[in-house]
Amino acid sequence: MNPLKKLIDLSEKHFTGSGKFNRLEPLFDATKTFLFFPSSKNKYKPFVRDNLDLKRFMSFVIISLLPVLIFGIYNTGFQAGLAQGESYAFIQAFFLGSRYVLPIIIVSYAVGFFWEIVFATIRKHKISEGFLVTGLLFPLTLPATIPLWQVALGISFGVVIGKEVFGGTGRNFLNPALTGRAFLFFSYPVSMSGDVWVAAGSTVDGFSGATALSILAPEGEKITAALSNSGFSLADLFFGLVPGSIGETSAFCCILGALFLIITKIANFRIIIGGITGLIVTSIIFYLIPGGSDSWMNASPLYHLCAGGFLFGISFMATDPVSAPGTNPGRWIFGFLIGFLTITIRVANPAFVEGTMLAILFMNVFAPLLDLIVMKYTVSNRIPNV
Amino acid sequence: MENIKILKGFKTPLTGMPDSSVIQIPDPDTVAVSAMDIPYIRPKLLVKENESVKTGTPLFCDKRNNCIFYVSPGTGIVKQIVFGERRRLQEVVIALDKNLDKNTDKNQAKKDDFIQFETLSKDSIGTIPRSKIIKLLQQGGLWQCFRQFPSKDTADENHEPPMIIVPLNGNDPFSPHPEVVLENETGFFEFGIKILKQFSNRIVVASRQSSLDRLNGFKDHITHIVPDFYPSWDPAVILYHLKRSKEDNRSWCIPVEHLVLVAKFLLSGRYPVKRVVTITRSNDKKPHMIARQGTPVKNLVGSLDENSLITTGRFNGRAVEPQSHMGFFENTLNIINDNQEEELFGFIKPGLTKPTASRTFLSCLSRDPKDLDCNIHGEERACINCGYCANICPNDLAPSFIYKALLSDEIEDALSYGLLDCCRCGLCSYVCPSKIELTQLLSQGMDAHYKDKE
Repeated sequence: MNPLKKLIDLSEKHFTGSGKFNRLEPLFDATKTFLFFPSSKNKYKPFVRDNLDLKRFMSFVIISLLPVLIFGIYNTGFQAGLAQGESYAFIQAFFLGSRYVLPIIIVSYAVGFFWEIVFATIRKHKISEGFLVTGLLFPLTLPATIPLWQVALGISFGVVIGKEVFGGTGRNFLNPALTGRAFLFFSYPVSMSGDVWVAAGSTVDGFSGATALSILAPEGEKITAALSNSGFSLADLFFGLVPGSIGETSAFCCILGALFLIITKIANFRIIIGGITGLIVTSIIFYLIPGGSDSWMNASPLYHLCAGGFLFGISFMATDPVSAPGTNPGRWIFGFLIGFLTITIRVANPAFVEGTMLAILFMNVFAPLLDLIVMKYTVSNRIPNV
Repeated sequence: MENIKILKGFKTPLTGMPDSSVIQIPDPDTVAVSAMDIPYIRPKLLVKENESVKTGTPLFCDKRNNCIFYVSPGTGIVKQIVFGERRRLQEVVIALDKNLDKNTDKNQAKKDDFIQFETLSKDSIGTIPRSKIIKLLQQGGLWQCFRQFPSKDTADENHEPPMIIVPLNGNDPFSPHPEVVLENETGFFEFGIKILKQFSNRIVVASRQSSLDRLNGFKDHITHIVPDFYPSWDPAVILYHLKRSKEDNRSWCIPVEHLVLVAKFLLSGRYPVKRVVTITRSNDKKPHMIARQGTPVKNLVGSLDENSLITTGRFNGRAVEPQSHMGFFENTLNIINDNQEEELFGFIKPGLTKPTASRTFLSCLSRDPKDLDCNIHGEERACINCGYCANICPNDLAPSFIYKALLSDEIEDALSYGLLDCCRCGLCSYVCPSKIELTQLLSQGMDAHYKDKE
């Protein structure tokens, strides 16, 4: 017998029933089932079950986030180097970046798990795997400069108000990670406004550290020209060596993650494709409207796709099945409208330079309505059986 | 022959397909009529323990309709009447008379003694009133072969079904091959179809694609072909894909082996007791077996590991104990291994041999037959709305929406979402990553609604 299994079996009596630590049973159970995959005998038909379970489902989202995470750490270090007038190699940048990013992730997981355990203990239910994803998604949407107490506050809001008050994973109608981010965005605009997002102790003169979306061209200049003047060529935006939130900068890594999720069918491709279509169509419409050549209105769809957090949001946030619609036509509309709203907020509302977060949260609210409309329509096409 | 286009279902190839050879199982010591596989029945016992019965003697009837009898599949003595929880009838066990030929004077019943019912002649079928056929079948314990949608209760004799569906394949992926069932029974099968035409104008005989090449003699009778993945051949799936109007919802179905039994009974006046059964076990190829109705499970499965689970259909059957007996409606036994090992970090292993309908295990890259065990592979969680259930439901239902409607007592919503189109195939529970007992909940919802209406 595995010695680890032995240890768990031995300590089980302390955590269950009338054991000394029986209040911590959810934590014990989570550890036990994380280490040793539970697989009891089926009691009801069907007597055979698929091997996929929620632990694996959520782990696959984590795997899909690895490219974004690794690149995000590297880019944080790289940008810090640039700000100090130095160009770091990968290893050096990665280690420097880890010093900023890892504490954020650790705080996010620690504080989030604390709330999960508190609620699981009070409500006497099992700790759901959903938080594994939230706990990693949330830090990736933050700038590396964020103070750690804000990380703790944000994840607390996201987990408690965004999810647990509604009954936990599966019953939340908003994406908890985005709820936490929106809370920080409106409560502490200074840390979140996207003006100075480069983590570095001291910066060289003339370094702005602004994100691409906050760029506005001077009179008479085109937005694309202004972007490349500020160091945002399309290639930079695509590969992601630009300032921005930890996880959002690299369109390339987001696409890698999205492809992984689509191929394994963990994320629904309809949301991602629908979202990209919505973004492209809307940005072309704005592009064709005369005037506004100095603003993001005049940027081509590719710029809109690669700049900001759209690809990150649509691949990892919008595809959260709990807060997305549960019907296929609903998913297409949901994705498309996220793309549409993202561009509309970016272009038409100068107060918010980044529209993805608000677009997704807004559509999260409408997801049940979309489902209702789709179900009404499908029901009208069925031969009634009552 | 018309192809029915069915897109969704269980497409993973499985191990344990039975061999096409046939062996005869000798008569067991006991046979039984089980009440566990009879839908909605409220049994009323007609015999007592230690009473002697003949083949064809009614053992119990349905209180809801006292004319529907369940009869003894053997001659002997009622050995035991088994009750379950809340004194629910489980089985009436009959000890077969084996050595009665020697001392017939001591017992009234003789081996193979049977009740002779009235017979019909092959040519007279057009002239006999429908009500007479029904009467005969009810007395002979075979009327229950006809089942009526949507609840698949015993057919209502006063109802004229718009369609009768005859599936050639059984409830499990490895149910007996129709060729084995129909071997040497061509005459009975054709007579059976004639009987069905007395009940309805539209007879649908459907076969799965892979059974077709060994059914050459029956091609004229087969009207529809369904794809070769479970549960395409389920009558409820066929009905869903064929129905054009509301009235079709109250069609009937009768499995082909029961159709042959009905024909045999009407022509011979004798209750037929032989059944073809298959036993499936992973990495094993067992032959088809011919056994008496109600044979004990242990006589069919042979030796087995005590942890394995035996079911009469891995997706939609019931779990049976070795000492219990085969039911009237059952013709498959699956021996499913219990994989008790709790794997270290099992949730993230690549899974080369783990069957899945998703694409999260490497096994989905190969088309080799896979082995399913009887474990749940995870723990129950809240629904995450992933849509896996809707993606596999053969009848285009959204089980996650229906079960939420049922849990919140919105029965009207559940019905409008198509609850009664559910074929209880079990695939929604099979794929659910949150391990929610969707099939169980939907089934209970349908039953509750049906009983309420009754």
